[in-house]
Amino acid sequence: MSNMKRSDGTSPLARAAALGVALLSLTWGQQSLAGPREQARRMYERLTGTPPSETLLGELETRLGATPTEASRVETALFIINPNQPHSKDFYSVTLKNWASPWTNRDQSVFAPLNDYSATVIGLVKDDLDFRRLLWDDVVYIGSGAGIRPYSPTSNQHYEDLENNNIDLRTLQLTTQSSLNGLPPEATAGVITSRAGAEAFFIAGTNRAMFRFTMLNHLCRDLEQLQDTSLPPDRIRQDVTRSPGGDSSVFNNNCIGCHNVMDSMAQAFAFYNFDNTAQRLVYTPGQVQPKYLINSENFKPGYVTPDDTWDNRMRLPGRNDVNVLEWGAGSGHGNGAKSLGQELANSGAFAQCQAEKAFRKVCFRSPGSPAEAAAVRQIGVEFRADGSMRRVFARVAAQCAGE
Amino acid sequence: MSPVIAMNMIAVNITSNDKQMRAHNFSRARGVARFAAVAALGFLALAGCSGGGAKTAENPVPPAQGGGSDYSGPVPATPEVQAFRVEFWQPALASSGCQGCHNASGQAPSFLRTDDVNQAFQQANTVVNRDNPAQSVLVTKVAGGHNCWLSDPEACATILSRWISAWVGSTGSGGRQIQLREPDPLDPGGSKRFPATPPDGFFQVYSLLDQHCSNCHQADSATAQSPFFAAGRRDAPDIQSSPEYLLAYQASISKINLNDPALSRFVVRVGKEKHNCWSSDCEEDAEDLRTAIQAMADLILPDATPNGLLSKAVTLQDGTVASGGNRYENNLIALYEFKTGSGPVAFDTSGIAPAADLNLSGADIGWQRGWGIIIREGKAQASTTASRKFHQLITSTGEYSIEAWVAPGNVTQEDARIVSYSGSTGTRNFTMGQHLYNYEFAGRSSETDGDGGPRLSTDPDAEVLQATLQHVVMTFDPVNGRRIYVNGEFTGDLDGAGGGTLDSWDNSFAFVIGNEVSNNRQWQGVVRLVAVHNRALTLPQIQQNFEAGVGEKFFLLFGVSHLVDVPKAYIMFEASEFDNFGYLFNNPKFISLDPDARPGNIRLKGMRIGVNGAEIQVGQAYRLLDLNISSDEYSPETGQLLSSIGTIVPMEMGAESDQFFLCFDALGSETNACTQYTPGVAPPLTHAGPSSDIGVKLFDGINATMAAITGVSPNNTAVKRSYGNVRQSLPAVHDIQGYLSSHQTAVAQLALTYCNALVNDNGLRSTFFPATMNFTAPLTAGGALNPNGTVLLDTLREKMIGAADTQPLPGDFDATIGGLITTLCSSGTACGTGNRTIEVVTAACGAALGNAATLVQ
Repeated sequence: MSNMKRSDGTSPLARAAALGVALLSLTWGQQSLAGPREQARRMYERLTGTPPSETLLGELETRLGATPTEASRVETALFIINPNQPHSKDFYSVTLKNWASPWTNRDQSVFAPLNDYSATVIGLVKDDLDFRRLLWDDVVYIGSGAGIRPYSPTSNQHYEDLENNNIDLRTLQLTTQSSLNGLPPEATAGVITSRAGAEAFFIAGTNRAMFRFTMLNHLCRDLEQLQDTSLPPDRIRQDVTRSPGGDSSVFNNNCIGCHNVMDSMAQAFAFYNFDNTAQRLVYTPGQVQPKYLINSENFKPGYVTPDDTWDNRMRLPGRNDVNVLEWGAGSGHGNGAKSLGQELANSGAFAQCQAEKAFRKVCFRSPGSPAEAAAVRQIGVEFRADGSMRRVFARVAAQCAGE
Repeated sequence: MSPVIAMNMIAVNITSNDKQMRAHNFSRARGVARFAAVAALGFLALAGCSGGGAKTAENPVPPAQGGGSDYSGPVPATPEVQAFRVEFWQPALASSGCQGCHNASGQAPSFLRTDDVNQAFQQANTVVNRDNPAQSVLVTKVAGGHNCWLSDPEACATILSRWISAWVGSTGSGGRQIQLREPDPLDPGGSKRFPATPPDGFFQVYSLLDQHCSNCHQADSATAQSPFFAAGRRDAPDIQSSPEYLLAYQASISKINLNDPALSRFVVRVGKEKHNCWSSDCEEDAEDLRTAIQAMADLILPDATPNGLLSKAVTLQDGTVASGGNRYENNLIALYEFKTGSGPVAFDTSGIAPAADLNLSGADIGWQRGWGIIIREGKAQASTTASRKFHQLITSTGEYSIEAWVAPGNVTQEDARIVSYSGSTGTRNFTMGQHLYNYEFAGRSSETDGDGGPRLSTDPDAEVLQATLQHVVMTFDPVNGRRIYVNGEFTGDLDGAGGGTLDSWDNSFAFVIGNEVSNNRQWQGVVRLVAVHNRALTLPQIQQNFEAGVGEKFFLLFGVSHLVDVPKAYIMFEASEFDNFGYLFNNPKFISLDPDARPGNIRLKGMRIGVNGAEIQVGQAYRLLDLNISSDEYSPETGQLLSSIGTIVPMEMGAESDQFFLCFDALGSETNACTQYTPGVAPPLTHAGPSSDIGVKLFDGINATMAAITGVSPNNTAVKRSYGNVRQSLPAVHDIQGYLSSHQTAVAQLALTYCNALVNDNGLRSTFFPATMNFTAPLTAGGALNPNGTVLLDTLREKMIGAADTQPLPGDFDATIGGLITTLCSSGTACGTGNRTIEVVTAACGAALGNAATLVQ
């Protein structure tokens, strides 16, 4: 390449880049068992994604004490992520945003822009509200600031403005979805009926995606883990062929396992659609969306969706029953997305999933020992009692502070 | 008198008078048909110009091929004898060969005597059942093997039945009625069932699975793949009492067939389907599994009688045949129903001579249970001689329809031939084809090329072709050209070529199913029926044939009179062989064959289907039923519908042997004694084992880190632009193993942008650096840092690295960054000259900011 400038070793940029790599290799492997200062630094960096100032680090070290305990670590972590403390900004604007972004799109991309789904996650943690409301409540968080366009049910511009202007996400304010997107309050269901959630999972298709991704993101189980061929198939819709390529054993060994679980639950979304032209969520009470009735000739004796009644067949004895997913006290059936969201959010699996996700976010790995696995399990149990996601983060940060 | 079940059929409006008229017109039609087609085209074109016009009359249909054209005996005495002559006598003389014996001087009945058609008619009446042609003595005798002229007596019976139906006009009035037949009361037989906990013999099976399948089918495997039948380790202490072992057992149950171990999914998957067999001989590996399963099965004693409230048992053969709905077939010229079930020939049972029977050839083509052929590699082809009837009969009317019930094997095959009448890949009269999600119709006419192109295809966005059983009809007529109908609906795709005539058709082509005649356009899938008509079927006619369905169907009557106080009480299912692997059970009803009986009020709860003495483990669609059978809801004619849902029951030993029964948690009385489902087991806590305790920051974290350290706002214009450029090149996962050189390039770029903004902003740099820092003075003296350089180095170390045991040692940092400053100041332009100090400070800042100490957490 004749036009490429040859480096003579004097280019500051070239040298700097080279040195950056050199220091990178220098630092790797230097992590070791750490004292209070190192633990404080790690907890802060893991929670906020940024390094503490010397002053703050000193204060955190003091809070941990000379011999840090589980309790002092949890309390220190709570101090780090206290939204009223100036140093907590990046926990909300960086860590939580990146934590939630993959849930808001089908590609599970962490680069997805801030949206009402991820903003609601951040807001519920910020205000330390019961995090289970995420799946069922009439709740959404919006921001404000100079030059920020207002919330719109037909675009994500409000949230993209917030992100592009690096607005402190601790300033997000709680409000009701119904006041913004026109849904009746009883038809709202947290992030399930958020604009971003609808755009990702109610668009085209058959609305089964909303169930699958909600299970994947909030119960930490894909259909692969949930499939159960022993459940009754009477709610499987007509569009599912019972003899793929002329082989019904494929249906009976594979397809049925997921659709048994999925179709009776995804019926809760029968009145929802995302209008790709208007770019907004559509809700048609009493009127089943046509997408539920497509390809009806694939299996004429299949189920024809008459309304938005859902039944949790996973409560029947089997691999997803109360022993496994720890269902809550509900009846296991209902109408619409809100009651379905409550059914899912009140399960033990939801609680355990939040603990596992927070652990992976803060500790960069899954539990590595029986003791850690038991600790995460206990964090999930405590979350199920208090619903505080903020405390879950504090507890997992205490688990991998690098003692 | 027993009640009858009226089938939902659409009557065909052909009366005997119509038939008579049609017969008289036959001879006239032959000569003028082609002219009529062209004339009709011209007429309709003109009518279109004037905005309307009278409806065109249907052209006369040419006569069925066969003898009798030289008949010189007495004329038919009545219109009905004339119908007999045309619909039965002539085709039977042409094809059946029955006249060899049943002639005027031969064996009685002389229904094919050729001297007097009126006497032949009287003789035929003695062996024909007008209410149910298929039950005529003439038909049942041949079906039983009496001198069938084909190799398959069933095919002969079908053809005879069709001729009789056409003659007596059974299609002339309302729906056909089915007489339900009471089955013999049999108790369900016993079979082997899985115990709730692993039986002794399971360990041998488990050992094989654990040894060979645990790389995937184990929850804590790196490539975990459900079901986890290889959970745990076979050599672990107390493995047989562990939760993992129970988990493996539960996951294995649906993959093991205790009654016929060779049919176990494990065995079939490894052997026949060659799924990750562990030696070079999959069959041998499958045999190892089968042997272990057999040993386990041998230790399990069959249950004498299943528990619960059980119905009487029936096989499919005990059911009442309910197939053959009322199809519209008045202009049929070829029909393949694939009923033979074995052998190399699929018979044309249209009764239109010559029969264009298909020869099955190829490496992987066979028969589908419940009527059909399954094609993976091969074709079913008629001879070119027999295929000439398509040319002759279709060109005489100028229009045609190709009708098929098919289940495409996949939606990935391209340019594949389903039904074709062609000579090569580039010449044809017509072809029904598949291209991905689309049906394609190539039909040669005066408006197309010799390949029938341009082809008419269904809209790719509509994806009407699905890999499931579909009814497809392609029609051609001189006005509309080609049209495609799928599952009784016009797809809406219009023929750009328009109509035309069929003058250019070639009579040397062959009719073929599943491939091109040249064997290089393979189609894969199941064909359950193909019919060719020499008329363009109308939408109502197509819908009638779609509603009639395809395949063999039965009404199965499960006796329950011993459970409820209702005489001749049954649970009735509509059942059929869905494919080679399962049955379709549909529309269960409660019904009594005693027309005076009423159910009163009977609670039905939890109905399960059982096969061969055991409840099926999958497909129990009626398990949650809970309803009352009441006199109010009950009709003596149609019973009471229990559910409109259908379900697929896995086939075990084949339609001839599988015996079905029902089990009820409650039917009248409640016992809840049917199979109880095993509760789930809480999964043991799992952990991933040791892994890296550190990771890298993500893109937003890196940006925030640099902003926090330098004090430069991320909203700084240059920073914002640079971050926007490199954002997606920065790390997106924390895993340090995923950190790439491209990430470091992006980090360096961003770091230098931040440092450039810092150093070139007096306010920011005065906040970041001490007041003693001089940005115009030299940084080195005598090959080492001077005090000004030391201030720079100390500031960078303190603010960017910090002091902690987990951070780089100060000495290492000083040596590296100090060395950089010294080198840069001693080469090229000296520091303290021009902007050189600023440049070197920026470089040192960038090196410190974009290094691992700030990236790694």
